[in-house]
Amino acid sequence: MATDLSLAISKEVAGRIREISGQNPNLCMQCGTCSASCTGIGKMDFLPRQVLRKLQLGDPGVLQCRSIWVCTACLTCTARCPRGIDIARLMEALRAINLRKGNEVLVLEKIPPELIKEVPQMALTSGFRKLSA
Amino acid sequence: MRIPYFPGCTLYSRAKNLDDSTRAALAALDITLAELPQWTCCGVAFPLAQDNYIGMVAAARILANAAKAGDGRLVTVCSFCYNVLKRVNYAIKNNPEAKEKLNNYLEENYQGETGVVHPLEVIRDEVGLKNIASKAGGRLKGLKVACYYGCMLVRPAAEVAFGDPENPVLMEELMAALGADPVDFPWKTKCCGSYQLLNASDLVTDRVRDIVDAALARGAQAIVTSCPLCQFNLDWGQEKLVPQNNGRPKIPVLYFTQLLGAALELPAEKLGFGQHYVDPRPLLSVVGRQMSDVRR
Repeated sequence: MATDLSLAISKEVAGRIREISGQNPNLCMQCGTCSASCTGIGKMDFLPRQVLRKLQLGDPGVLQCRSIWVCTACLTCTARCPRGIDIARLMEALRAINLRKGNEVLVLEKIPPELIKEVPQMALTSGFRKLSA
Repeated sequence: MRIPYFPGCTLYSRAKNLDDSTRAALAALDITLAELPQWTCCGVAFPLAQDNYIGMVAAARILANAAKAGDGRLVTVCSFCYNVLKRVNYAIKNNPEAKEKLNNYLEENYQGETGVVHPLEVIRDEVGLKNIASKAGGRLKGLKVACYYGCMLVRPAAEVAFGDPENPVLMEELMAALGADPVDFPWKTKCCGSYQLLNASDLVTDRVRDIVDAALARGAQAIVTSCPLCQFNLDWGQEKLVPQNNGRPKIPVLYFTQLLGAALELPAEKLGFGQHYVDPRPLLSVVGRQMSDVRR
């Protein structure tokens, strides 16, 4: 199916993604090493390789996909990318653009109270830094 | 020898046993960890957004304060603290904009002179693994361990420089020096699911199951780590996340400092073995009996 260019991500947003991440998604050759290495892949709607493809095509849906929110920022993709793309930084840029508009996925009220009592503080701090506005 | 020390938030509460066992084990090796007089949370997660300098300020302040201690080094044991302190220091050293902006926040003139070191590196470089072996006398002989590094201790390799990001070996070398038998463990740098425990806990369930099953399949009796979040996910996760109905055996998840302390015959109450979900004491009592057999 041909991509409808009228729906493409705006130049401004594409520029923002590159500015925040410092990465060029067009270097990706779609080998799939990132997807094969990914911690969160089982819970993603689009594989990391597909997220990169969406960025190359300018698909605005890339900002709405679940994958960016189940990334654990473990940097395995970044460590293994044969094209040297820091994929975790692209994922962070997609989160940052959402979070700066107030779109967040982690809210305190939704975390089970019994879990909050048990978890290490570092889980709360890192979770809120990555996933809440 | 005294070295400045940054414990971090989690070590003051949920991972008190990591703090206690790190201080006690290094003290037994004549290294006093001198806690910084003032410190805050390091920020935990290094900001991957290039323009997010505010997310680096806390770590920068800790590094600048540590520089005033005059030693040139700062020890920290939590993998997340180690990662964020090293990465922020790398940014200050290599990115002029980061250096200028962070110093403007801090009202300091910090140039990145603090060398962040992990206790594993201190043990290797200041004590020496051969010395450890002679002090510990092979007291963990027969204990099969799976050394688990996770993510933050090893990635990104260019910035944290802890060793091969796919196959770090320092923890295995220490365990071998203590007499333990580190199993071949290809899962050693897999991610445990991290903070997704709060957002997608089923993801953490899957990763915990993978890692625990891989350790058990290789005959490990304990998983060894340095990260309080890995420790929690693997330990608590075995009790609360992974289904219990298939007779799956449980495996204790210990800090390397606890095993080092045990091998140095430190009193158990300094090592916090009671703070685990999967109780390591039955296993350690077996090892302890072997230890006393060795001495007889």
